[in-house]
Amino acid sequence: MRERVRRSLVRIGAMASKETQHVLRDPRTLVLALVMPVVMLLLFGFGVSFDLERAPLAVADRDGSDASRALVRALTASSELALAGAADADDADRLFRRGEAVALLVVPEGYAAAVARRERVPLQLLVDGADTVVANQVLTKAEALVRAETRRLGGPDLAGREPPIEVNVWTRYNPAARSALFMVPGLAAYLLAISAVLLTALTVAGEWERGSMEQLFASPVGRLEIVLGKLAPYLVLGMVELQLVVAFGAVVFDVPVRGSPFLVFALGFFFLVGMLGQGLLISVVTKNQLVATQAGALSSLLPSLLLSGMVFPLENMPLPLQTVSRIIPARYLVHGLRGIMLKGNGLDVLWPDLLAVVLFAVAILALATSRFQRRLA
Amino acid sequence: MTAPAIQAVGLSRRFGAFTAVDRVSFEVERGEIFGYLGANGAGKSTTIRMLTGLLAPSDGEARVAGRDVGRDPDAVKAAIGYMSQKFSLYLDLPVRENLRFFGGAYGLSGRDLAARVDEALERADLRDLADATTGGLPGGVRQRLALASALLHRPAVVFLDEPTAGVDPVARRTFWRIIRELSRGGTTVFVTTHYLDEAEYCRRIGLMADGRLVALDTPAALKRAWVPETILAVRGRDLARGQAALAALPGVKAVAPFGAGLHLRVEPGRPSPEDVTAALAAAGAADVSVAVAEPSLEDVFLAVVGRGGAAEVSP
Repeated sequence: MRERVRRSLVRIGAMASKETQHVLRDPRTLVLALVMPVVMLLLFGFGVSFDLERAPLAVADRDGSDASRALVRALTASSELALAGAADADDADRLFRRGEAVALLVVPEGYAAAVARRERVPLQLLVDGADTVVANQVLTKAEALVRAETRRLGGPDLAGREPPIEVNVWTRYNPAARSALFMVPGLAAYLLAISAVLLTALTVAGEWERGSMEQLFASPVGRLEIVLGKLAPYLVLGMVELQLVVAFGAVVFDVPVRGSPFLVFALGFFFLVGMLGQGLLISVVTKNQLVATQAGALSSLLPSLLLSGMVFPLENMPLPLQTVSRIIPARYLVHGLRGIMLKGNGLDVLWPDLLAVVLFAVAILALATSRFQRRLA
Repeated sequence: MTAPAIQAVGLSRRFGAFTAVDRVSFEVERGEIFGYLGANGAGKSTTIRMLTGLLAPSDGEARVAGRDVGRDPDAVKAAIGYMSQKFSLYLDLPVRENLRFFGGAYGLSGRDLAARVDEALERADLRDLADATTGGLPGGVRQRLALASALLHRPAVVFLDEPTAGVDPVARRTFWRIIRELSRGGTTVFVTTHYLDEAEYCRRIGLMADGRLVALDTPAALKRAWVPETILAVRGRDLARGQAALAALPGVKAVAPFGAGLHLRVEPGRPSPEDVTAALAAAGAADVSVAVAEPSLEDVFLAVVGRGGAAEVSP
């Protein structure tokens, strides 16, 4: 019995060490696994947490009073917003299209008088929503500045309850702008999904194409041993990838890990096992690298990008899509990672997410192993 | 262990309506080199895949190295070596790592593995190439490496599926030297080939046509049984012109190109070599010489396939 276990471990070890050498000898695999996620993280990350620097704000000051000028000064005194010039209230489309301004503040006639009477004054802020990230930040910043101005005018006791200035926001083009911090945990899921599914789909399909799968089947290596030996190196690679993404997120983009890092990796581990299993299933079914690559990319990229809640909020989706998203493991990873990293949630809150990725991993591995017959035809 | 190394009884395999292997039965003794011949698609690889446990037989059974292939495939797999048609080595890895991997796949590890790998490198004459990347090696060297990989765990029975396809003649000769050494050491070798000259190295030969095993014996006995006629080897220039005339001669059973010349299968005694020379000269061939030849396995093969039906003959 012990001898059988020892031999089995030797065979798994032989598979894993061979696979590791494939990876080490092919820089493309390492690039795909380690460099690509970092590059994408930087691209997406800088896209999302682009620090607002002198974003041009146009102002249509219909009041032309000292009070309205004070408001504009307050808004543009910070480094984030810069006065792009005076404009008319109808100019927003033209300004946005030419990129002369990313936001237009409309101060209504009678602003000064209303403020003096401490009445509510509706200000209008039109924001160019084409770049959701910039739009989101301009909005946040402008609201904060207006609130401060309100507080200055109305006094601390009044500001809280009934602000005399009210901001009406009109976001043009893309009303669904989301917070930057939400992107990095989502991105981690997305990157892990793609590279894990693609790597295994490629490597197992390659074994079929090369004919070496037949050679393996003629040896005493069992299918579970093939699966474990093949997946182990990529699991390690995936965990390194996850650490890279989390570390880059923390260092470069100040994305915190407020909860337990252990929970991050536990969640990531089981998610990875599921994704590797998905890649395995694809390659077992297709037995062809080209088809496996396409099926792998489609089945990992699209769902984890579109149905994971990474970019598009699940709550806003039609019910059928919401239902489909429930079987997408990336959904649980994104939700779980956001919970751990941004809110500091613990297992007491996140156990359903962990359970979901574990279930997916077990189910897909079982399916892949059962489809993976050690006989030809 | 006096039981045969390989024993097939009524082994059949169907793919849908197509019968790839049809009720094949044979036995291979321990230490024997058994050649399995046949045209492409005759069922050679399918038979090997059933014997190695890669393919379940539709019917019949087989015992290899004393174990039932259908009931105990893992025991069979541990006892055999297999070299598939494509010699599936990992081309991106060095020679030594390929050997280490296949050794590990058979459960070898540590010092034992290292010793076997060194031994294999020695035997296959690959010591100087141990650290070379496999993909950069010529076909003959890769083939030796593939064989060495299949032998690392010292299997009792080795299955070689067209091991010499696409390998140059010098490399083929070296390869067969290794196979004969193996056989002397007691290893049973089951080899498929369609190089008929190689088949002469085998102690016994099985001939496949359309999924059936149509002949099985030593090369000499096969020649006596299948080519009772005299073989006339004809050489000369412009022989093609005379081919039709020869076929029309009384007593000629078959005319087939053989190397640069022709082989005639004739009834004993007629036509005589002189009749053949005369007929060819009349048809326009020049420098004709005719000699009585020892029948080759190619003659056997052509006779078997000719009788077996419309099997396609590979060059």
